[in-house]
Order: sequence, then structure tokens, then C-alpha cells
Amino acid sequence: MTKWYMLSGKENDVAVSSKVSLARNLRDHVFTNRLSTEEKDQIADEVSAVIFEQLPEKFVLTHMNTLSRYAAISLAERDLVSPEFVSVQEGRSFLTTPDESLSLMICEEDHVKIQALLPGLELTRSYELADRLDTILDEALGFSFDNKLGYLTQCPTNIGTAMRGSVVLQLPAMRILGRIRHLSNTVSRLGLVLTGAYGEGDSPIGSLYLLSNQVTLGISEEAALGNLDSIALSIIEQEREARKELMENLQFQDMLWRSCGTLKSARVMSFQEFMEALSVVKIGIAAGEFDLPMNTVNELIFAMQPATLNTEAGEDLSRQERDALRAEKVRAVFADVQQ
Amino acid sequence: MLCQNCGRNEATTHIKRIVDGESSELHLCSGCAQHLGYAGMFSGFGSNIGTLLSRFFPETAMLPETEEERCPGCGATFDEIVRSGAMGCAECYDVFYDRLKPSLSRIHGRATHVGKTSATRDDRMERRAELRRLEEERNAAVQAEEYEKAAVLRDRIRELRGETK
Ligand SMILES: [Zn+2]
Ligand SMILES: [Zn+2]
Repeated sequence: MTKWYMLSGKENDVAVSSKVSLARNLRDHVFTNRLSTEEKDQIADEVSAVIFEQLPEKFVLTHMNTLSRYAAISLAERDLVSPEFVSVQEGRSFLTTPDESLSLMICEEDHVKIQALLPGLELTRSYELADRLDTILDEALGFSFDNKLGYLTQCPTNIGTAMRGSVVLQLPAMRILGRIRHLSNTVSRLGLVLTGAYGEGDSPIGSLYLLSNQVTLGISEEAALGNLDSIALSIIEQEREARKELMENLQFQDMLWRSCGTLKSARVMSFQEFMEALSVVKIGIAAGEFDLPMNTVNELIFAMQPATLNTEAGEDLSRQERDALRAEKVRAVFADVQQ
Repeated sequence: MLCQNCGRNEATTHIKRIVDGESSELHLCSGCAQHLGYAGMFSGFGSNIGTLLSRFFPETAMLPETEEERCPGCGATFDEIVRSGAMGCAECYDVFYDRLKPSLSRIHGRATHVGKTSATRDDRMERRAELRRLEEERNAAVQAEEYEKAAVLRDRIRELRGETK
């Protein structure tokens, strides 16, 4: 089955994916923190009944407690569910289309979290997908809503549109040139937040950053996403400029070719090592130095994740076997890249 | 617990993360959370509920509990909401509105909702909001010794409550 992340998206030399999430609560139930496991499963039944009946797409319902640990974590690695959602599997359910572009987390923080995920910079289309699903569920089940406060959420910080839009941006050149700190200060003044997408602390794995909107009350979905989209575009331009600068630099050229060598020839490769090399090589691909489709490269970001490899190749794969398998798969993709 | 980033300050922000195929938790002090981009009031959106608990209600948490008013929708007291950082149900917003107000306006400013509206309406919530408005008006009328106006308002309140005149 083709997944959304295997397809080509707009501005995908820098923008990896776009996501729009809507948090909603059913009017006839108390919030998630006061529900028993049985009541949570009942909500999953109510929601999935409407979805199976009224949506043209074939959705699949999964009770999280039926998934192995790796299968659950793999969902989080591919950005389909939050790390918080997999921290407890009991009482939580997940609905998705086969291509995983449209999905619902049931009983995470709120009763329902509708999510639409697309490759590249595609916020408007993501919102349309999420919005259509939201309207159908609202008409059938009724969401908690107040004229002044908007959609009512378990945490008072999310009221209003209860919408979060986010774009995953790969910014290796800006990071190498030390421009991230300044960038993140700038976007926070514009009501957005920039965080590392994977890994911890100051240097996110593979220079992947998540840019998202903060304000949910007093700004419409359209305005919030328009703002996010235009700031994302401006960051994409800045990254492209930074990449051009780097390509002129001999030290970077050396780093680029060495990274390409790693991807072409390593026999054992950790996820982190893979991502660091990939983020550098991507600059060369964008500059036309190496011939490889950008969506093939972006797909690897999801497919080479640790728990995702384990889920695909066998649960009892040891760490070293996993790193060897990753190296093998990556070599296959980069085999024909001219050195 | 000390902050994992600077190793100096007490960690107050706890963020669930996936690292190397495993679930893990990142513990940060508020300074580092700010600097790493996790301090945004909305970064709690599903990913780090724990962060917001103390941050949302600092001033209201200090208020002494005067009466044990419970939300008719879920049974929560305001104190329980403050301690858990989570509203009990949609009705809590209405029942505890006055006490939530300082925190709401600190976070959201004076904003009111703009954007998509629910197609289905919750009459219960709307009636309650209307009642609150009428009661305020009636109190103002009594204060201003406009007793005729107050009587009219009282009748409308009774009517809305479903009481007979
Ligand atoms: Zn710190
Ligand atoms: Zn309640």
C-alpha cells in the first residue's frame, strides 16, 4: 500500500510534511481524564460507527492495546500519533485510512483528535481533509462548543479553533551555519513555535524541525494556517539561500561527499548517523549534485526509523541487526548515485 | 529532578518523546523549555500534558476554596480541576467560568472565538450563558434601584429556568 509519505509534495527539498489536527470532544461524555476504559472504548465505537458508515474512504480501527510495543511506537515515529498517545495503550484507539493520510486518535487528551498528513507544504489541503471529517462527525455526534470560547477542550489552552497546524522542515544548512537560534526567536514573536522533531535538546536528529501555530482563540483556521504557510515559505527560502552558500565552501563539499560515501557503503548505521548523513546529502541532491528523487529521500526518514524497521522486519531483531538492515536498505537506494 | 538540558535547575516540564525506538521522557527546567521551544503555552497540545498543570493556574491555585461547588455535568470541584490541570467536562467551563477567567485571559488575552462553528447547538450551554447575562443585568438594576426593570428581568430568569411565575 502506498503511504502518503512516499508521494511527492510541494517544496519538498525543505518541507517534509504538513499536518493539521483538530481536537474535539463529544457533548454527551465527560472529558477523557474522567472516563473509565469501558467508556473510552464506547467512544471509539460511536466514532468508528459514523466513520465506517459515512466516509467513502476505508478506515481501519485499531485498539492500541492489541498492538505490540514496537508497532505502537512505529505509529509515533511516523507522526501518526503523539508520543503521549503511545505512553499508555489501554483505552486508546486509532483510526486511519490505508495510506495513513487521514487518521483519528481516540481518547488521547481529548475524545477525538482528527489529523490530516500530507507530503511537502500542503496546509490548505490538509485542513480541507480534516475539516470534512470534522463536519461529518459533528453532525452525527455533536461536539462541545461555545460561541465565545469555541471548541471546548480538556486543557483550557487549546480552546477556540482547537486546531494545530504544523510543518516538518529539514534545515541542515541553517543549522550548520548557526542560524536556528535566531530563527526560532523570530518565529516565536510571530505566534509560532519551532521545536526539534526527533531527538532531544538543542540538536534535533537530521536537522528536522517542527514549525507550528500557537494561538487557537481569536484567530480563524484560515488565518492561522495562512500565517503558518507564509512563514514556512520564508524559512524554506532562507534554507535554500543557506544551502547555496554552503555549496561554495570546500569544507562543506568534503562533508557532502563523505556523507554520500557513508550512505553508499556503510554496513552498520544507527538512525542518528543515517539522518545526519541524509540531511547533508539532501543539500547535494537539491543542488543537482546527485540524481535522486526528493520524495525517495523523504520516504526514508519515516521508513528507516528504529521501531518501524523492527515492526516490518521482525520484533526480535537486535539493535545491531536493525542497524545492519538499515545500512543495507539505504545502500540499495544510494547504489546508483554517481560518486 | 534536575533539568536534563542544563543539569542545574529543577525540572518542571516533562515531555514524552520517542527516542531510538523507545518511549522516553524529557525533563526540563522552565528556562530550558523556553529556549528549546517547549514553553509555548500550547506546546501541551496532546504531547506534554504535565507541563501545563502548574503553569495554567498559578494565581487561582492560591485562592482559598470557599465552597465545595461541584460541576453538575461531571462532579468536579474547581480545586480538582486546578490540581489535575484538566477540565472535567464541557460544562465545567460554564460553571467555573468566573474563576477560570483570570487564567483564560492571561493565556488567550481578551480574544473570543473566530472561525469554524459547530453545526449542532448545545441549547443547555446557551441557556446557561443567557441566564448568567440576565442575572448580571438584574443585579445591576437592583444596585441602581431600578426595581421595575429588575422585576421584569426576574420574570425572564424564572421563565428560562423553567420555573412558574
Ligand atoms: Zn535547564
Ligand atoms: Zn464538569
